[in-house]
Formats: sequence, structure tokens, C-alpha cells
Amino acid sequence: MIEALDLTVRYRSQNEIHVALKNVSLTVPTGMICAVIGPSGCGKSTLLKVFAGIIHKYEGKVSIDGEPVTPAKQKIGFIPQNYGLLPWRNVEENIFLGLKIKNTKRKTERNALLAIMHQLGIDGLERRYPGELSGGQQQRVSLARTFLLKPDVLLMDEPFSALDAITREEMQDVFFALWQQYEVTTVLVTHYVEEALYLGQKIVILSANPGHIDAIVDNPLFGSGDIRRKPEFFKMGLELRNLIKRSWNQS
Amino acid sequence: MKKYGVVGWYFFAIAVLFVTWWFISMIVRLPIVPSPVLVFQTLLAVFIKSIAIHSLYSLWRIAAGLVIAVFVGFPLGVLMGYFPSTDRFLAPIVYLTYPVPKIALLPILMLLCGVGEASKIIMIFLIIVFQVIIAVRDGIRIIPKETYYPLYSLGASFKEIFFEVLWPASLPKFITAIRVALATAISVLFFTETFGTQYGMGYFIMDAWLRVNYLEMYSGIMVLSFIGLILFAVIDIVEKYACQWQYK
Ligand SMILES: Nc1ncnc2c1ncn2[C@@H]1O[C@H](COP(=O)(O)OP(=O)(O)O)[C@@H](O)[C@H]1O
Ligand SMILES: [Mg+2]
Repeated sequence: MIEALDLTVRYRSQNEIHVALKNVSLTVPTGMICAVIGPSGCGKSTLLKVFAGIIHKYEGKVSIDGEPVTPAKQKIGFIPQNYGLLPWRNVEENIFLGLKIKNTKRKTERNALLAIMHQLGIDGLERRYPGELSGGQQQRVSLARTFLLKPDVLLMDEPFSALDAITREEMQDVFFALWQQYEVTTVLVTHYVEEALYLGQKIVILSANPGHIDAIVDNPLFGSGDIRRKPEFFKMGLELRNLIKRSWNQS
Repeated sequence: MKKYGVVGWYFFAIAVLFVTWWFISMIVRLPIVPSPVLVFQTLLAVFIKSIAIHSLYSLWRIAAGLVIAVFVGFPLGVLMGYFPSTDRFLAPIVYLTYPVPKIALLPILMLLCGVGEASKIIMIFLIIVFQVIIAVRDGIRIIPKETYYPLYSLGASFKEIFFEVLWPASLPKFITAIRVALATAISVLFFTETFGTQYGMGYFIMDAWLRVNYLEMYSGIMVLSFIGLILFAVIDIVEKYACQWQYK
């Protein structure tokens, strides 16, 4: 479970204080995917960085499974906007990074690595460097790293937005299949309504200036198979769009 | 074929250089420009007997200065690049001392540390260390902060951040800095070896010059150049191996 209570984050830059998030309260129950949607600059990445233990200076309470965020103790799988691969490590080393830092890398893990690489369709790329991979392949490597770690929580920052439309839908399916297998508590940041509808059990709508939660919507369409081409999907998408338009115009 | 291509061009360049030298020696016909053939004969004849020991001394001084410079400069560069507070404190010191021509300090060094090994090694150290500090610091500063995020969220220690990010990210700049600094270091070594020692390529070359033995002098110059060439080749190989990812 991920919980934020009255979370406020300020950035200080050149004598100027910018409130990136104000009084955000959010609960993501264990085993749920929560999609966070909002305009750019509304503090989506900031929210994830707080959950990931990258930003420590904030007001309010934030916890993972009832404990304060402590990356050294918890297993936090964080996929940043640019996939977070180390350019000087090859694919295999990049995937093993999580296990290496957590000191749980064992001999048998190599089979797990090969299995997950196969599942993600990146077999045979172990020796390549990130610079030799397409965006979609980098994304898969990043997913492999994160899922191999079997994290307590999974945080993804606009994971599929740099991909072309076809690859994006493919990656959403790849991710969803993996997620069903592990059922890890997930916060997924996006700016695509369709992505939020397809992958979010709960959809959180954020607005800017300062970043705050406008609405939390339960998504009845979640998990009902390949819904992307069904009329309900379009209808719900339209409703969500209107809701978002209203709240983003207000602020 | 491609692999041998590069080596082939090097041999070609060497041939061009020697043919040019040979032509000049034929035209000038002075003892101060001897034919390369004679120089090679002399080199083969006297290398073991009298040059080898001098080249070992020179190599040892370069190696000692280099190793100390890396052990001092690399950590300082990392601290300055990674911790802005350290940089605020150390940057003024580095910037104020960096432009001082180190060779101008040689008389002072010789008074303080004597004319022996210490002053020569410290001289090389001084020339290399500043380049290393600044290159490593800048190499670390340009790392996008997103690069650290996966490590932070995994709870990595500073040691792990060092080996996963700081070291590999700064390595290319670090190696380039050493390559640049070594060229200066070799010239300065030559100069320092003309004082207070009976050993080293600098001593050998100047001694041959004073004895008006131009053939030995040229042999010495060839050996010193060869030492430089070998050092550069080693650095290139290390870079190709350690920074493979850069060329992908
Ligand atoms: N390190 C920082 N220093 C100052 N301001 C920042 C910093 N990071 C983000 N901001 C500001 O905070 C706001 C929210 O940023 P971010 O969380 O990245 O938004 P989003 O991911 O939703 O686009 C933006 O207005 C941005 O300019
Ligand atoms: Mg963002």
C-alpha cells in the first residue's frame, strides 16, 4: 500500500519558491494500479520522486506498507521518464542492477533473467549497450530490471509516452501481462487518457498551480480484456476527457 | 583487413618520416643531421649498454608522478563534482593554482626537495594532477541527475553510486586528461633530467650533445619519442576497452 497524506512539496530555485504539490492525499491499496493523469508541470514526476525516496524534503506523511519511504529497506521499482538505463552497462548488467544493489543476485538468477528477457521479447540482446537499442527495447530492458527485482511497489513515470502509437499499445499489453503475473502495487503517471483508462484501476486527475488532486475516478473498465476498440472505452474516454478539461480549465 | 588497415597506415607514416629525414640528411650533409641509418646502427649498438638504464629511470619517474597524481586527483575530482559544497570550497584553490606554469616552480622544488628524484616526480605530479581534478569534476558534473534516480530509489550506498555511475561516467574525460597531460609531462621530464642526476633520457641526450656525439644524441631522442608513443598506445588501448560503450 502506498499512502500520501497532505503531501506538499516546494522547490527552491534562485530565491524563488515554487509549490509543486499542495496537500495531496492519496491511497493506493496493495495490488492495485493507480494511474495519475495531469498536464505537464503539474507535479506528476515530483509525486513519483517522493514515493521513490528521491525527494526527501516535503511536508506531510508518505508511507509504503505503513513504513516511511526508505529505499534501502524497501524494494522500490522506479522507472523514470527516460527509462533510467546506465549507458555504460550492457543490457544484462542493467537488468541485474536492482538485484546487485539489493545483494540478492545468485547464480540461479541467470535463468530468471533469460526467462524475463524472453517474455519481453528482448532475447539475445544481453551484450548490447542501451545506445544500441530502440526506445521500445530500452523500455523492455527497464521493465525487465524492475520486475526481476520483484518490487514491493512499482512507480512508472510516463513509461510509454516516448514510443510511437503502435509500439505504445504493444508495450501497454506487455506491461499488463507482467503486472497480472506479479500484481505489484503500482503508480503509473501518464498524460494519455486512453492509457489511464486501459491500465488504471483508479484514475487520479491532477491539476497545476499548485499541483493538487482534482478527482479520483474508479475505472469500471479495468481488466475487462481487450477493451481498446469497444464503444464503452470510447464513451468512458470522452467522459474522462470532459472531466479533465473542466478541472484543468478551472485552475 | 580493416584491423590491419590502421596499423598499416602507421607503418606508412613511419616510412614517410624516415625517408624525409634521410633526404634532409643527404641534402644538408652536416654532422648535426645524421642519416637515420647511422642513427639506427648506433641505437642498436648502445641501447643495452648505455640507453636502457636511462629509459627505465625516465619511465619510473613518469609512472610514479602519474600514479600519485591519479590517486590524489581522482578522489578530489569526484568530491568536487558530486558534492557542490566541496566544490565551492576547493574550486577557488584549484583555479588560482592551475594557471601557474608548474615548470617555473622547479627551482623552488629543487631547493625544498633537493635535486634528486623527489623534485622530478613532484613536477610530473603537479602537471598531471590539475588536469585530472578538473576533467573528473567536469565529467561528473555533466551527468544528468536522472542517471542517479534508479540507484537512489534502490537505496544504493555512496560506494555503489561511485562504481555504477561516477567512475564509468568520468572515465572517458579522465583518460583524455591523462593523454593531454602526459605530453606536457614528458617535455618537462626532459627538462628536469638535465639537473642533478646522472640518469634519465634527458641527462643522456644532453650529455651526448655536450660530448658532440650526435649519433647517440639522436638515438636518445628516438628512444624518448618511442616511450611517448608506447604510453599513448597503452592509453588508447585502455580507453577502447574501458569505454567501449561510447563507441556504440
Ligand atoms: N528541481 C526543480 N527545481 C525547481 N523547480 C522544479 C524542479 N523540478 C520540477 N520543478 C517544477 O515543479 C513543477 C512540477 O514538475 P514535475 O513534477 O516535473 O511536473 P510533471 O512531471 O507533471 O510535468 C514544474 O513547474 C517544474 O518547473
Ligand atoms: Mg514529468
